[in-house]
Amino acid sequence: MPQLDLETISRRFGAVTALDGVSLSLRPGEVHALMGENGAGKSTLIRVLAGLDRPDEGRIMLGGEEIPPGQPAAMREAGLRFIHQELHAVKGLSVAENMHLDHPYPRRAGLVNWGALNAAASEALARLGLETIDPRAPMTDLGPGDQMLVRIASTLIADGDRPAWLYVMDEPTAALTSGESERLFTVIGQLIGQGGGVLYVSHRMPEVLRLADRVTVLRDGRHVSTRPLSETGEARIIEEMTGRDLSALFPPRRSDATPGEVVLRVEQLSAGPLEEATFELRAGEVLGVAGIAGSGRGALLRALVGEQSRSDGTVTLDGRTLNGGPKQAWRGGMAYVPRERRSEGLMLRRAIFENVALPHLSGLARLRYFLDHRRQRRVARDLGGQVQLKAASITQACEELSGGNQQKVLFARALAGAPKVLLLDEPTRGVDIGARSELYRLIRELSDAGLAVVMASSDLPELLGLSDRIAIMRDGRLSEFVEAEGLTEAELLSRFYHLSKEEQAA
Amino acid sequence: MMQVARRFGGVAGMLAVIAFFAINLPETFLTPRNLLNISQQISMLTVVAATMTVVMVMGDFDLSVGSMASLSGVVAAILFTQDWSVPAAVGVALAVGLAGGLFNGIVVSVVGILPFVATLATLTVFSGLAFVVSDGRTIFGRDIPPGFGDFARGGPVIGMADERALVLPNLTLVAIAVVLVIWIVLEQTSYGRRLYAIGGNRDAARLAGIPVVPLRLSAFAFTGVGAALAGLMYASRVASANPTQGDGLMLTAIAAVFLGMTLTRDGQPKVLATLAGVAVLGVLDNGLTQMRVDSYVREVLVGAIILFAVGLSALGRRGAARRR
Repeated sequence: MPQLDLETISRRFGAVTALDGVSLSLRPGEVHALMGENGAGKSTLIRVLAGLDRPDEGRIMLGGEEIPPGQPAAMREAGLRFIHQELHAVKGLSVAENMHLDHPYPRRAGLVNWGALNAAASEALARLGLETIDPRAPMTDLGPGDQMLVRIASTLIADGDRPAWLYVMDEPTAALTSGESERLFTVIGQLIGQGGGVLYVSHRMPEVLRLADRVTVLRDGRHVSTRPLSETGEARIIEEMTGRDLSALFPPRRSDATPGEVVLRVEQLSAGPLEEATFELRAGEVLGVAGIAGSGRGALLRALVGEQSRSDGTVTLDGRTLNGGPKQAWRGGMAYVPRERRSEGLMLRRAIFENVALPHLSGLARLRYFLDHRRQRRVARDLGGQVQLKAASITQACEELSGGNQQKVLFARALAGAPKVLLLDEPTRGVDIGARSELYRLIRELSDAGLAVVMASSDLPELLGLSDRIAIMRDGRLSEFVEAEGLTEAELLSRFYHLSKEEQAA
Repeated sequence: MMQVARRFGGVAGMLAVIAFFAINLPETFLTPRNLLNISQQISMLTVVAATMTVVMVMGDFDLSVGSMASLSGVVAAILFTQDWSVPAAVGVALAVGLAGGLFNGIVVSVVGILPFVATLATLTVFSGLAFVVSDGRTIFGRDIPPGFGDFARGGPVIGMADERALVLPNLTLVAIAVVLVIWIVLEQTSYGRRLYAIGGNRDAARLAGIPVVPLRLSAFAFTGVGAALAGLMYASRVASANPTQGDGLMLTAIAAVFLGMTLTRDGQPKVLATLAGVAVLGVLDNGLTQMRVDSYVREVLVGAIILFAVGLSALGRRGAARRR
């Protein structure tokens, strides 16, 4: 396969220059990482590659021949395939049918040939070592990770086009757990081994450092650098992305911090998959919750906030027992930033200030029942400032914000009730490095000011960089607590599996 | 356990209903003649519900089917009074159904009005047209050619019982043919599978290059033609046509599809499940009538049973979602 060259691509939207003379070469057999903060031009570049956007200047060349711009079919013909961060599983259809969404179904006498359909699907799955996935199973029986792998496998189904060789993956691991991500990385290895190429767009530095052969950094629509991974590294990439030194991604804890009073006491808490969780949390403490996918990290938070109904145990916050649902938990001083900010957190079409005020309406009302819009806006504006929300106005709809700013809206909402305990589930998922560092600084400031934080995360550097203690979960149980100070990623990871081996031996 | 209850609860419920009537009406219920009778009674509902399944697969509705059925009946009848031949009048009535269905499709899919609102409006339009066309009269008697009325009364003889011929009603044959066609379209053609894709995740379908707008538009043609056909069947059966006689079909057809959805594994509309839903409603109606249950009480019972079945299925589904 010849290589694909982007030559001095520019794209302007009115007065805004989204891409300014960006050149890029994508070759078979390598993973090319594309890095940049939100607004750096990554999305526009992907849209140009997909043929969804026509560049104002520049050419896209495949092996020396120009591909007509702005035509999705032409890009597809050139062998490009796009794996989006949002999963697009069609419920009610089988895996094989989902794989044929953009391919014609095999037919016999005008009717669907189910045997050939399933055979084509399982052949494509097998090429990626995914024999365990049954093509006849309903797609929605699969986890999000497997759904994404199925999407990738579907691009291997032969059709009239030239075969797919270049895979553009936009934040592919955003919805995946670490175990699912591992399978994706294996599949990427397979694709590269079979002569494919990957343009890998991600905010997650560890993934880029692990997968990429070359790294291109964009900033403000301009090409900053393209280097082999051996000639660059985390610090340099971050510096190039942000234009500033981010060596202090995780701000240090205030040195004179002393442990506060116990604010949260959890005893023998069982709820859904969570079993017999017992721990205490002090004011100003950050407790990380770690564990492999499915170990119950999210379930612990959902149980604490009362979303998952409890079968046993007590949760005491500031001396008061919480035994109701989320409403009582919020009122009692708990705040929760859920993992799925789009589906569980935000009313995307509503204004920022409405989203911030939502759980606090009764506290912000006039005469108890009448909404006080001015007060809602003031609270939202103050908190927006505190979380460094970047928005045109607090009346802007949340769907217009970047992932990082959407997350800040949820932080502002959580803080509006002046909580004592803040529960965070994957707080920086899909958030770019700049907004991420601001969130880290915010979490640190809040905990320095005495807020207790419980943070479930699959991002190991984040757990190690922010937590005081890390609770490791396994099979729905809190298996051990470790001090974060001095712990390395490898040590933390090994503890995820450590106990299970011991128990197997026993 | 809940899973099992959800999966087979509906089937068990259906068998229970049949067993109940079989025990309470030992002489008359489970006889071949009565079953054939039921099959004829439900044939019009079957046609409307089967074609309704096509749009509900995409998550859409067509509320205008009842008034379309009335309209097509009076259109054919009026043409009969103008001495049109049966095939020509039937052809025109079906063409009216096709046109109405495509109009619904355009309004929903191209213009982008919610199906609920759009077809509620066309329901009123079609109903008004039925009155305009018929001048508000019932057309019956000598105006209806004997060939048209005899069709519904006839059918191939398939056996003898009590020294009388058992007739497989023509209307039943029509309904079977429609179900077969819809089954092939939905389950065995890529067209039908694309409709399921649109219903399962419209964005994904669009991103995969599936032509969502024309497909949605075309699917409404099925409900239009199906409704018109059912209207003709009805007119043939009663050998008359009035501008409101099909109106009751719409809600029952949608209820039948919902009942059917409770039987499928993933809660998708499927035409054979719809047929089961229609059968349950038909059996209930027939059995309760035979037991001389007052027709108003019958409506209360049927409504309650629909609520119960769909509610049970929703609870089961929520339980399943929570365990994920």
